[in-house]
Amino acid sequence: MSATIEAPRTIPPAAPDEPDVPRRLGTRRSASDKAFRAVLLTSGAAVLAIMGFVGAFLLLRAWDALSQAGWSFLTTQAWEPDSGNFGIAAILVGTILIATVAVVVAVPLALGVALYISEYAPTRIKQSLVSIVDLMAAIPSVVFGLWGFFFLQGRITDLARWLSTTFGWFPPFQVPGSDPSDPLATATVYTSSTFIAGLVVAMMIAPVVASIMREVFTQAPVGEREGALALGSTRWGMIRRVVLPYGKGGIIGGTMLGLGRALGETIAVYMIISPVFAIQWHVLANGGSSVSSLIALRYGESTPFGMSALMAAGLALFLMTLVINFAASSVVARSRSGASS
Amino acid sequence: MRRALAPFIAAILLLSAGAGPAAADSFVPVNGAGSSWSSNAVDQWRRNVEQYGMRINYASTGSSDGRNQFKAGTVDFAITEIPYGLKDGGVVDTPPSRGFVYMPIVAGGTAFMYNLSVGGKQVTNLRLSGDVVTGIFTGTITSWDDPAIAKDNPGLALPKRKIVPVVRSDGSGSTAQFTTWMAARHGKAWDTYCAAAGRSTPCGVTSSYPTIPGKGFVAQPNSQGVAGYVAQRGNVGTITYVEYSYALKTGYPVAKVLNEAGYYVEPTASNVAVGLLGAEINTDEKSPKYLTQDLSGVYTNGDKRTYPLSSYSYIVVPTSTQNGFTAAKGHTLGAFASYFLCEGQQQAEVLGYSPLPVNLVQAGLDQVGKIPGADDANVDIKKCNNPTFSADGSNTLAKNAPQPSECDKQGNDQCDKPTGGAAPPPGSKGDTTGGGTKTPTGTKTDGGTKGTGGGTTGTGGDPGTGGSTGDGTTQGTDGTTDGGTGTGTGTGTGVAVAGPSTGGGPVVCSDDTGQCTNVVSMPIETEARSSGSISPLAVVAACLLLVALVVIPPLVSRGAQARKVRR
Repeated sequence: MSATIEAPRTIPPAAPDEPDVPRRLGTRRSASDKAFRAVLLTSGAAVLAIMGFVGAFLLLRAWDALSQAGWSFLTTQAWEPDSGNFGIAAILVGTILIATVAVVVAVPLALGVALYISEYAPTRIKQSLVSIVDLMAAIPSVVFGLWGFFFLQGRITDLARWLSTTFGWFPPFQVPGSDPSDPLATATVYTSSTFIAGLVVAMMIAPVVASIMREVFTQAPVGEREGALALGSTRWGMIRRVVLPYGKGGIIGGTMLGLGRALGETIAVYMIISPVFAIQWHVLANGGSSVSSLIALRYGESTPFGMSALMAAGLALFLMTLVINFAASSVVARSRSGASS
Repeated sequence: MRRALAPFIAAILLLSAGAGPAAADSFVPVNGAGSSWSSNAVDQWRRNVEQYGMRINYASTGSSDGRNQFKAGTVDFAITEIPYGLKDGGVVDTPPSRGFVYMPIVAGGTAFMYNLSVGGKQVTNLRLSGDVVTGIFTGTITSWDDPAIAKDNPGLALPKRKIVPVVRSDGSGSTAQFTTWMAARHGKAWDTYCAAAGRSTPCGVTSSYPTIPGKGFVAQPNSQGVAGYVAQRGNVGTITYVEYSYALKTGYPVAKVLNEAGYYVEPTASNVAVGLLGAEINTDEKSPKYLTQDLSGVYTNGDKRTYPLSSYSYIVVPTSTQNGFTAAKGHTLGAFASYFLCEGQQQAEVLGYSPLPVNLVQAGLDQVGKIPGADDANVDIKKCNNPTFSADGSNTLAKNAPQPSECDKQGNDQCDKPTGGAAPPPGSKGDTTGGGTKTPTGTKTDGGTKGTGGGTTGTGGDPGTGGSTGDGTTQGTDGTTDGGTGTGTGTGTGVAVAGPSTGGGPVVCSDDTGQCTNVVSMPIETEARSSGSISPLAVVAACLLLVALVVIPPLVSRGAQARKVRR
């Protein structure tokens, strides 16, 4: 042992008056290595550049509207750009609420799906289940929108009514204008709501979230799993002590990816929501809004200034998504499985 | 097999007619966007001309979007209810720099389609005066038992149910038509509402309906969106403004609207035609707004058959080759325009629209010549079989329009007869078969509500039961049994949009007795029926394919692995 440690000492020492300089290490890269590195570098830089350009483009196009509206852009609850009365307070809150509902519904669902597929499902059907989940992720969002509008909406109002009558003491579940004791009360107060839009978006993000989580769960080290089982833990105990802690990064990463998609989901929300431009805290009540559905709704018919206002809204969404993703990646990077998600 | 026959049939038709729009020509795809108000007609027409090899792509994204896209040069034509140059929310919608002309495509009535029931029975004979309509859509009349509504409906005891007005959330020609009428006839109420919604007054015409948060209004994109929302069974108490064809399509009733002569009328083809006799058309050929409409004469038309919210819809076509518009496209667009101005008008009534009168067809055909590349429309206008044409140039449809019955008079007890899509098809039970058999294929609400008609025919004078209790499946069986006992010649149709509208076609007839013979046979019918019979097979095939996609890859991979292991 000591001999190997001594070994470097056997190199003749440098001249005493020269300072110690570490030996320069260099690699001569082969041509193919260089080419490969160049390709990677370019594509990496291209992603950053494209993102920068998107941001710059949005800012440039939004400048008109932003400079006219100033800070009131962040606090105004209205969208009448041509009268100069517009701001994103309501729509940004609406976007976040829809995404929150979606994540709250989708993440437990996806977690269950991922755990079942990776831990419980018999090997025979595992591959088929994976394919089905992936297939669900491939359904176009307009199909989900149609399903939500024509199928789900008419049927979910009873659940919404029950939620609002039972949990009405919780302010977001209140539905103004509803009267459970009135048999003639209209069901429309429960339709076109943040809740329904959020449910549909949840269906869209759940498969994506589930497949990321599953991917990470299957990578939990076999040695640790076996160790846990050998120490007498049940399968659920093993999952709780080994798989879930290991997969924390994947859970958070998947959730954030889902959140990002939920924030930007357009067409399904566009079809379901009845846009209102006032902050709508009541998630079960009719009316809501989201940035991307507003853009889809108005871009075709906007004046140049209206377009600029829409771009400003888009910029706000862009920045918000960036912040969320950076926050998520910093959390993920600290976890064990972080590198893989 | 029938589908395979379709080209032959088309060819035979072409040979025999000889006047088919530019037979044996090569056509290039043409793209358009705009109005959803008239999209039911446009969609039917463009399916009809597919047999000539014309591909017309049309996105019904709303009139405002259509005009903007045409202005930006991203589409070859736009369809819109209002022309360029109107001031909306203080901003003038500037006309595009490219050359363009307007051409009327079809007439129709902006109807008030509603979903209302009393004691489990659907109300199908609601009547509304202009004041009440304005009150509903400006939020001053909020309950169905409002005395103003009761005054219009002496025969109805309406419940204390909240009125939920459903408006368009996108920029739309329907909104523009409706607000033009409100601004002209009920300006004060409209301006008050507009001001409360944060718009500058006088509000005038606007394409995007202002909403006030918390008022209980629901906003949905597109005509399909508002009609689909009202047609959801649970959404009782809703009312929306939408073209009459959407009410026929979804099987829901429309409100009869009070006209200047004191009668409540439905927007049937003939009532719209009568109303539009009062429209003032810009006949100055040099004006950039040549052929556009001034509807104030329609609102005040004193004929008692007038539907006051009648209007024309327009296509905007380019007159120069720029923005990617070529002579080849012009050729196709010209042929399409000649088709819908002439033959296409026959179907207007069946679809829930009203055909153009002869002067507008002639003027439109003259405009076709201005499209670069279009053949001069050598259409023999006498062969168009347009129900409005007559030898002396008067509007036959309007002339023969039936007078409203006395029960439609203001103050009298209202008629029992259901309106719009809720009206029973007259006698021909084959129609309900069409609706019934369509239900299992599950086209959203259409199938189920279509069956309402079937239910009505069965129970007779009890229009509500079908719609309010049954769901799609039971409706379907209703329809089928009806068809079994009936004559069942089956106008059954499968094509998504056309199907229900065709089924609802004779409904229009029921109100204009004597006009029923005008229901024309459609060249597309064979194809439509064939697709109806194919669809179950297609569904099964799609399911099998889906299952195969899911199941086969893992099986194959497992098999491969097993083989590897064995080796």
